[in-house]
Amino acid sequence: MALAVEVSNLVKRFGDFTAVDGISFSVSKGEVFGFLGPNGAGKSTTIRMLCGLLLPTSGEARIAEHDIYRETELIRRSIGYMPQFFSLYPDLTVRENIEFYAGMYEVPRARARERVEELSGRLGLEGLLDRMTRTLSTGWRQRAALATALVHQPPLAFLDEPTSGVDPVTRRQFWEFIDDLAREGTTVFVTTHVMDEAEHCTRLVIMHDGAIIAEGTPEEMRTRYVQNMVEVQAAPLWEALEALQASPLVREAALFGDALHVQLREEVVDPAEAVRQALGEAGVAVEAAECIPPTMEDVFVALARGGEEAVREASP
Amino acid sequence: MNRRRMMAVARAEWIHIRRDPRSLVVILILPVFMLLLYGYGINYDLDRIPFAVWNLDGTQVSRDLIDEFRQNRYFDLRESVLEQRRIEELLDERKVVFVLVVPPDLGGTVGAGRPAEVQFVLDGSDTTRASVALGYIEGVLNDFSGQLQAQWANRQGTQVAAPFTVYPTILYNPDLRSRPFIVPGLIAVLLTLLAGLLTSTCIVREREWGSFETLIASPAAAGEIVLGKLIPYIVIAFANVVLSIVVGWVVFGVVPLGSMALLLTASMVYMAASLGIGLFFSAVSRSQQMAILFAVLLTFLPTILLSGFVFPLRSMPTIIAAIAQIIPATHFLVIIRSLYLKGAGLEILWPQLLVLAGFAVVIVVVAAGRFRKRL
Repeated sequence: MALAVEVSNLVKRFGDFTAVDGISFSVSKGEVFGFLGPNGAGKSTTIRMLCGLLLPTSGEARIAEHDIYRETELIRRSIGYMPQFFSLYPDLTVRENIEFYAGMYEVPRARARERVEELSGRLGLEGLLDRMTRTLSTGWRQRAALATALVHQPPLAFLDEPTSGVDPVTRRQFWEFIDDLAREGTTVFVTTHVMDEAEHCTRLVIMHDGAIIAEGTPEEMRTRYVQNMVEVQAAPLWEALEALQASPLVREAALFGDALHVQLREEVVDPAEAVRQALGEAGVAVEAAECIPPTMEDVFVALARGGEEAVREASP
Repeated sequence: MNRRRMMAVARAEWIHIRRDPRSLVVILILPVFMLLLYGYGINYDLDRIPFAVWNLDGTQVSRDLIDEFRQNRYFDLRESVLEQRRIEELLDERKVVFVLVVPPDLGGTVGAGRPAEVQFVLDGSDTTRASVALGYIEGVLNDFSGQLQAQWANRQGTQVAAPFTVYPTILYNPDLRSRPFIVPGLIAVLLTLLAGLLTSTCIVREREWGSFETLIASPAAAGEIVLGKLIPYIVIAFANVVLSIVVGWVVFGVVPLGSMALLLTASMVYMAASLGIGLFFSAVSRSQQMAILFAVLLTFLPTILLSGFVFPLRSMPTIIAAIAQIIPATHFLVIIRSLYLKGAGLEILWPQLLVLAGFAVVIVVVAAGRFRKRL
């Protein structure tokens, strides 16, 4: 399958600070490719380089089969870009913003009007088309920005943190919309620092301090990087947490809602039993302890906190 | 150059202007207001120049001389001084512009047919006023000397033809009123200020808004963006040119003698150049404040001080006069003053018009070149 994005050894330095430190990855056409990592990991810097807004310090990249150094203008024609921060014209209405970008991408006027109706219908913006974007709340601004980025039906869409500052319901709708886009054939490159959103991606990388520390499908991520995950219900929960964190068999224990998520060392054969034992010795009453598949948040906690050491051990 | 993209930029900019009430006030009211204010305020003509007299003579000749000044409508005798100390007081307190000192025995000297001298003590702290006053004084004295010579010749029983009588014929502004000279210059300066204010923020504003990032991620070329931004301001500039000409005519009675079509054309070419300069600063600045500061310091001040609006180019040192040539306003002032005062036509003014057109093209190209499609 043809590659939508192909990156090798991409580096960006700002003075002494290395924001992106030699990353390599590729994205196939039709994927929803997730770019995960905490704030400051270098996600936005990477996206900006791929969209031709920043010149890389070194490295190679091809976007839609165009070179990012020499064919920037060709790349710009083939992508849609939604930046991380509010970037609409505040004193133009939603409709005027969408139509402005339709003009920028040479969408014929009649088609542009159709697209306004179509996108606003799908994103629930119908009632707000004639509101100035400055008067909209974050969730609606993000929808309007998404509509402007997609008005020309780009084969490849770069969405930088589309769900930041958005309520959970809107967030879910956003991801449904992104899934639909992908089904219709758009390759979506999306960044987020919310780990659970990674479940929606067909494939993802996790970035940390400018480097890629993990790569794979969500399923691969969970099985490769986190094993022996146990969910524990106990009382009192805090004592259980302290006892487990002190146990030599436990790699990581953290609060997860009203339960504990405990990751045990690889050599432990029956993790649930080991937890019961450890808590029994500490005198904490165990209500439930069962093996569970890890969530993406568990993966990220394991990777970021348990450190790169764990990653190196687990990486093939 | 893609027309669809350029017009999309122009349309968005036009909507922005229309929805920003402050910019509408600046655009429509400020130029008229300033034209009224400065049109009334700046006036180089002197009328009823206050002066004093210290008469040490007391003969008929000296009284005739003083009467000559008293009867002239440009002068106003405020005081007869009795001692020297008072002269300084009057000048220090700015009660008079000059003091006429008649030396003792003026009558005797004149009666004997010898050359006589009178003294004028002039307040030179305001050079413009002093030199205008001096010009008027010399006029009165020349008249008076002529009369004395005629009388003296009469007494001798002969007739002297007065040596020369000068009848100056002043073309273009026969009354030498300063208003027809100032108002066209003022229009030029105000249009410059307006142009700078209009465009100096229009690109850098997008940086502050964040819309810059999506704008440069789009396929629009720098030239399309810069020209698209320029279009609505050209329309506004045209309205302002017309408004200024109307105010100059209705309020100050200053009407161009030359072709109105040429005046409008030249003004629009000049506005394109000035708006282009604003765009250039907008493209290179990182904040709106910085862009406005650039526009004021680097265009508005030179336009006022170096273009010939206030100080004639002829009296500038060669280097400064050469620098003045790179200011568009210098050339536009020549055009607008010639059109208003002389009624000159294209056959005279084409070099200046060509220079302005060159400025406009070059600055827009440079602004587009400086517009980087990178963050």
